[in-house]
Amino acid sequence: MTELTAAASRTAVDAHRRLGAPAVLPVARQLALRGVLSMIRIPAAIVPVVVMPVFFTLAFSGAFSAIAELPLFPTDNILDWMVPFAVLQGAAFAGFGVAYGTGRDLENGFYDRLLLAPTPRLGLVLGPLIYSAARSMLPLLIVVPVGYLGGARISGGPVGFAVLALAAVCTALLAGLWGLGVVYRVRSQRAGALVQAGIFVTLFLSVGQVPLELMTGWLRWVAERNPFTYVLTMARQGFLGEVTWADTWPGLVSFLLGAAGLGWFAWRGFRRLVP
Amino acid sequence: MTSTTTATATSHPATNALAQTLALARRSVLGTARQPVIWFPAVVFPLLIAAINSAALGRSTALPGFPPVESFGQFLLVGTLTQGVLFGGIIGGSDLALDIESGFFERLVASPVARWAILVGRLAGSAVLGAFQAVVFIGVFAAFGAPIEGGPAAVAVIILTAAVLAVAVGGFAAGLGLRTGSQEAVQNMFPLLFVLVFVSSAFFPTALMKGWYRRAAEANPISWMIDGLRELVITGFDRSAALTALAVASGLAALTLTLATTQFRRRLRAAA
Repeated sequence: MTELTAAASRTAVDAHRRLGAPAVLPVARQLALRGVLSMIRIPAAIVPVVVMPVFFTLAFSGAFSAIAELPLFPTDNILDWMVPFAVLQGAAFAGFGVAYGTGRDLENGFYDRLLLAPTPRLGLVLGPLIYSAARSMLPLLIVVPVGYLGGARISGGPVGFAVLALAAVCTALLAGLWGLGVVYRVRSQRAGALVQAGIFVTLFLSVGQVPLELMTGWLRWVAERNPFTYVLTMARQGFLGEVTWADTWPGLVSFLLGAAGLGWFAWRGFRRLVP
Repeated sequence: MTSTTTATATSHPATNALAQTLALARRSVLGTARQPVIWFPAVVFPLLIAAINSAALGRSTALPGFPPVESFGQFLLVGTLTQGVLFGGIIGGSDLALDIESGFFERLVASPVARWAILVGRLAGSAVLGAFQAVVFIGVFAAFGAPIEGGPAAVAVIILTAAVLAVAVGGFAAGLGLRTGSQEAVQNMFPLLFVLVFVSSAFFPTALMKGWYRRAAEANPISWMIDGLRELVITGFDRSAALTALAVASGLAALTLTLATTQFRRRLRAAA
């Protein structure tokens, strides 16, 4: 941000204090709506959110179908194991997409104009996050039917589906916070590679492919300590049996801890943008 | 005076063309080597995926029908190498598109450089990167308990196949870059390569796959190449397996080089 825009931003903040602030939520809602509109206008942008998870479902299930025959594997249908993982992958890419869009706004100057407006700062961060949560419903609504066609079943019923949806939203929010934190610091779309790398490592160093009992060596140690393992366990339980509180609360706690840490990371990054 | 222009000053046309090709190949190799951000992911990411898959899927070697291996890493070596070479091969085509975008290609065409040296020089960079990846991957896998039973002859075949495969991918990427003149368009071929490597025997034996996925993987020429090289790694040196792997890579290279040459001529006509 230049000195001129920084000064203008300070003036805007003063005006905002004198005249009374618009509420946070309407600002966040408008920014989320802007994201939804851009998604409708540029359908190519949602390809990674939809096509990649469907491909992952088919590829992982097709290539590794035999691992379901191993002792200790909790289902005999690999799709029951892979569909929730693919849904959360898509949700994570929804969060990534939001960060990427913010990087574009920072590059083309639109974000400077947002900072100049007398809007509550929190709304500028919450808006993209609401959009990422909404966008995470796309892989859910596409991958689950594809899995159903292949034989996957939500034995946990509507509660199982609801828990999967909740986990998808949690994943999108965590990925969005991580992505925004990076993009606010790098201030460019080029941060995308770093954001993707972080998401990729977190997803695959978990129980994404096989349960903890089948892992060997260092991966098990890492996966046991990866908070995403517990979010994924929460998402998966409806496909493997009944939904239980014992498999739900660790996921919620992991999400809350992750959101607190990554929220702090994103907010600190955002504060660097404003005077 | 650059090495390219020095090369044009020598007397015999064939010597000129060779020197120019070498100079352009050197430029391609140095250009890639000086930008770790470009080649580093093509080396590190496949190794990271291999490390995760080895720890996650290691117990699957006990499944009936799994090839007799010392470790899952030994099975993964060739698949990881193929993945790295496929992804790294894009770099040559992407750089060629960058040359077009930046106007350097036009300047080369305007100079008295042999035409084919422009394309061959660029693809030589891809071949060197492919061979480099093979050496690194073989070394890392050996350090983690995945030896190559076929010995030095098998190692040589694997490195040579990797270089030829890199030319094949580079040729396809170069054809795309020459057609579109856009780096972005070349990068967009990434999902295609992703499908090509995933729907193959790269990460799991086709014998343990099922249904249409197994049929698709078995029909994928990349699987034929991988299975040939894998035999050299797991069982020992076998001339037939080595020739199969080399033939598949060479066939793919011939196909994509034809595409690249066609697009190269088309662009030269447009530039004339």
